[in-house]
Amino acid sequence: MYGYKNCVLRINMTTKEVKKEPLNMDWAEMYIGQKGLSIKYLYEELKPGIDPLGPENKLIFMTGPITGTCVPCSGKLAVAGKSPATGTICDCSMGGHSSLAIKYAGYDAIILEGAADKPCYILIEDDKVEIKDAAELWGKGSHETEAILADMYGHDHSFITIGPGGETLSCMACINSDYYRQAGRGGMGAVMGSKKVKGLAIKGTGSVEIPNIKEATKRFVEMERTDTSTDDNNYVFDGGTTAFLDACNEGGILPKKNFSDTTDNISLYDGNVLLEYRKGKRGCGSCGLGCGNFLKMGDVVCEGPEYESIAVAGPNAGNTDPVKIVEANQVADDMGLDTISAGDTIIWAMEMTEKGIHDFGIRFGEIDKYIEYLKLMGRAEGVGAELAMGVKKLSEKYGGKEFAMHVKGLEFPQYEPRGSWGMSLAYAVADRGACHMRAYAANEEVFAAAVPPYTAEGKGEIVFNLGQWNAVKFSMCVCDFWATLSMETMAEIMTLVTGKEWTVERIAETGTRVLNIARAFNQREGFSAKDDKVPRRLFDEALENGPAAGQKIPEEAFEDMKQQYYAIMGWDSEGRLPQSLIDTL
Amino acid sequence: MKRLKFNKEKCIGCELCAQVCSAMHEGVYAPSKARIGIEAYYDKGGALKYVDSFCILCGICAKNCPTEAIKMTDKITVDADLCVGCEVCAEKCPKHVIKIRDEKAVICDTCDGNPMCVQICPQGALTFE
Repeated sequence: MYGYKNCVLRINMTTKEVKKEPLNMDWAEMYIGQKGLSIKYLYEELKPGIDPLGPENKLIFMTGPITGTCVPCSGKLAVAGKSPATGTICDCSMGGHSSLAIKYAGYDAIILEGAADKPCYILIEDDKVEIKDAAELWGKGSHETEAILADMYGHDHSFITIGPGGETLSCMACINSDYYRQAGRGGMGAVMGSKKVKGLAIKGTGSVEIPNIKEATKRFVEMERTDTSTDDNNYVFDGGTTAFLDACNEGGILPKKNFSDTTDNISLYDGNVLLEYRKGKRGCGSCGLGCGNFLKMGDVVCEGPEYESIAVAGPNAGNTDPVKIVEANQVADDMGLDTISAGDTIIWAMEMTEKGIHDFGIRFGEIDKYIEYLKLMGRAEGVGAELAMGVKKLSEKYGGKEFAMHVKGLEFPQYEPRGSWGMSLAYAVADRGACHMRAYAANEEVFAAAVPPYTAEGKGEIVFNLGQWNAVKFSMCVCDFWATLSMETMAEIMTLVTGKEWTVERIAETGTRVLNIARAFNQREGFSAKDDKVPRRLFDEALENGPAAGQKIPEEAFEDMKQQYYAIMGWDSEGRLPQSLIDTL
Repeated sequence: MKRLKFNKEKCIGCELCAQVCSAMHEGVYAPSKARIGIEAYYDKGGALKYVDSFCILCGICAKNCPTEAIKMTDKITVDADLCVGCEVCAEKCPKHVIKIRDEKAVICDTCDGNPMCVQICPQGALTFE
């Protein structure tokens, strides 16, 4: 089929066997690529109950049929495996240019299996695949590792690396590419570290074929002009996600001090301050939105920081120093730690200390210590060795569960659900734990103000519709920043690229199928409605400040939203797929 | 005469220019085969740097072509019957953008005065003026 390379590169790190095999095209027809197709491979190939950090787990880098084409915003790469943070399925959508390199090298996907006995990195140059010794790289930061590999192989290669956090198997370890792009959530860096793979260097000089390429390309150029780089989406280029800071503050969902409240003084956290230090713009391959802000503040450099990283190291940590926010971002990236989970864990520790429950030696506002703790967590040293476990395991050991802000072991993104009730449902039912990328209900409830935020009514349907849309979008590999992308346009793109007819109905069905197979994977691991839960803080403590002051979520409203969602999905009241649905996957 | 111009301040390194070029001229998406090669990268993570390899219509290739296969008017044309693939043009090209493929020179033809790379360039880094 057009669009695909029909080749999977499978590398067994235990035996060092390198195999090239055809892509399963039946599965590609059902799941497209990226998110959906990587989950399908894992669903079929992973035995239930395996240790996410054992050699039985697999790490998949999956492209899609539109990767490498001129389809706007198509430069993302799915990185998927069983998560050591949650025990659920986990797929991340990583930016940069590595997705294009993999596709041009001739592969739809790279699957890493087994585990090496000593550190190595993988060199892929079109057909050539070599497993190299990485003894000299092990222990180095992610940025230094990429710089060394770039010196060795040149900038015509793309690089994927882990930092010390991945080496020490932290369940919040991320994977980096292009220095500042991450597969951030769910500990995929630890899965890579468990296989002792420090990095990949990839160069591709091949091609991607689609039918009627000249006419199709002209249509993609038109899409870029009329639907992508438009006023609706170009805020991404202008300021990036720093703009969310204002929007979240005004909507009452910008969290403060470990989600104990929301902010009431945005002047302290003005995202525009950061943009004064911008030195350039940088985007992913095949994307015209160029969301990356390259900042320099003295010795501190970073692409970003994105809204999540600003909010967690800013108001949620009781910090008002923008330079320190950027430094925290840089350190977390270099250590190979997810800024969200690592930050949430530190701010939970701050509250634990403030409340006198357990002294982690850090309090709100101590941002220098926050940065120091990130380094300790990355290297699993001192207090960092414990904190690297994340808030779920820590709160089971020390208490403070009611304000350990996570779902299934994945820490909260920086949207306060008491100001956007739909987000509590989105976090609860997301396939990889608390995630804002699966169903961005805050947009409907707060930014667009299309529906009332403080009610359960209709939220099951909203989270389903958004979830279905994102599931198919991420399976095609389109970035979520193309926010105006309709299912009609998705169907048109798939038809143009694959040469087979795609309808809106087929696009929608595929989205639902992807949601179901992710749920089926988790169900097989023992997850059900009992795990779709949020910390008690959301039920018991009303917000005191900001536009959502006085709000807390009634527990029965939360349960109501869950049941609405399960019913739409065709799951039972325990959130379980019936066998008849499983049989269709 | 209109020429391609590149403003690195506006470049986001998306590679769409090379993708669209290969699509329109080679019938595949293959930046390695494109007649333009603009890339942005982080030098050791600390500075944004750019590779700007594209035809500026300087005519050096035409002047040095020993078989007169390369002609320049308001664009470059290569007569495949005359081109012997000697690589002199590629060696002399100051922008290192000429490729030799199947023993023939492959050079930007400005898409006959309406370059697709300019049309697709999303943030206006490439212009034709």
